[in-house]
Amino acid sequence: MPEIIKYTETELVALLKQRQQNAFGYLYDHYSGALYNVILAIVSDRELASDVLQEVFIKIWKQAESYDATKGRLFTWMMNIARNASIDLLRSKSYQNSRQNRELSETVYDSAGVTATNIDLIGLRKLVHSMKEEYKVLVELSYFKGFTQDEISKMLDIPLGTVKTRLRGALLQLRELVKK
Amino acid sequence: MHFCNYVNWLKNKVDTRAYIESGIIESYVLGLADAEEAAELEMLCKKYDDIQKALDEFEALMKAHAFDNAITPDAAVKDRIMHALAEDFAKEENENIVPVIPLNVPDEKIKPIARPVWNYIAAASIILLIASTAFNFYLYNNYKSAANKYQALLTERNSLQASNDVYRTNMLIIQDTDVLKINLTTVKEKENNLATVYWNSKTKDVYLMPSKMSPVPSNKQYQLWAIVDGKPVDAGIIEPDCNGLCKMKNIPKAQAFAITVEQKGGSPTPTLTAMVVMGKV
Repeated sequence: MPEIIKYTETELVALLKQRQQNAFGYLYDHYSGALYNVILAIVSDRELASDVLQEVFIKIWKQAESYDATKGRLFTWMMNIARNASIDLLRSKSYQNSRQNRELSETVYDSAGVTATNIDLIGLRKLVHSMKEEYKVLVELSYFKGFTQDEISKMLDIPLGTVKTRLRGALLQLRELVKK
Repeated sequence: MHFCNYVNWLKNKVDTRAYIESGIIESYVLGLADAEEAAELEMLCKKYDDIQKALDEFEALMKAHAFDNAITPDAAVKDRIMHALAEDFAKEENENIVPVIPLNVPDEKIKPIARPVWNYIAAASIILLIASTAFNFYLYNNYKSAANKYQALLTERNSLQASNDVYRTNMLIIQDTDVLKINLTTVKEKENNLATVYWNSKTKDVYLMPSKMSPVPSNKQYQLWAIVDGKPVDAGIIEPDCNGLCKMKNIPKAQAFAITVEQKGGSPTPTLTAMVVMGKV
């Protein structure tokens, strides 16, 4: 049955904060695909990404109170919950252990830079893959891997200021790629 | 807070165009901005419409991109989520059904929670009070004991002082160059009595020291006699409490002294058979 009701983000926020379960169901139905994409771009493995997606929506329900509309859109808030949960998974011990037994399904790093071993890149990752090397590595390490700019500066042996400016440049380029 | 003032000061100078082109908005949306940068952006958005607009635009862009590349997850995921939240949902339902506040709230709920701190303070105070009282009793007892001892000491001191005075006086008497010392030695060989008479040749005062005299029965007493021209003259009864030097009768002239045992109260004439010591001047 086609959805008759369409909620704007503002309405959804209000309903969620009122703990309306119907609104939560609507949220899942409409937003899960987009968030799944965000998660897959970082995590790659579908099963694991499903687990993260589940965790993300539970968090969205539980933390709805803390969403502050003055700081950005509902989707941006959800997107960041999804990204953080994905990175947490990548950093978890269980993931680190199982990685060794698994076929590498994500990019691997050597001292020179980034080497993609999987063609099936999802969403943002596909876009980033087409960027120039020095931008690519910064976006990979910061967005997809969750390293701070300070950590990146040490890892790549580049001054922190350079990391900052270069990363911003990379994101501006990314914006252009997204627009297309 | 000082950062806001700085921004205020810069108000007319902020190149919003440059800020928008700096990439900070992109990093904020993607979750890559640090706390400082985020706070700065949020503040600038409130002040500058074009910055707010640029933020909106990039957010919309990222959302559109995510939706364009949306991948449908397994249907099972939704089930798992709803199952996991079932309890939470039920709780919310119950809270929504039941009317919120009953009209009469029992006093218990309104009363502020008795801070346990005060109970502890009260208990501690009582314990301190009891301890203090007990200590007071102890101190008082000590004081009383010390006071008593002090009294006793004073009394002892007084008596010692008195004795001392007596000895001093005695010393004076004995050392007086005008005083003759006459030893009265034991008459009966079985006994071992000794007394000493100190006779001041100028004042004619007679002092007796019963150096070593056997005790007499309670109905009898020692009596001192001065032998004057062959005749005995009463020189006084030796009181039982005479321990040091006792003053006897004044004897102007004598050739000898003797002590006899007489009936209590003394006798006008000596019982010569009861003589115990004698000494010639």
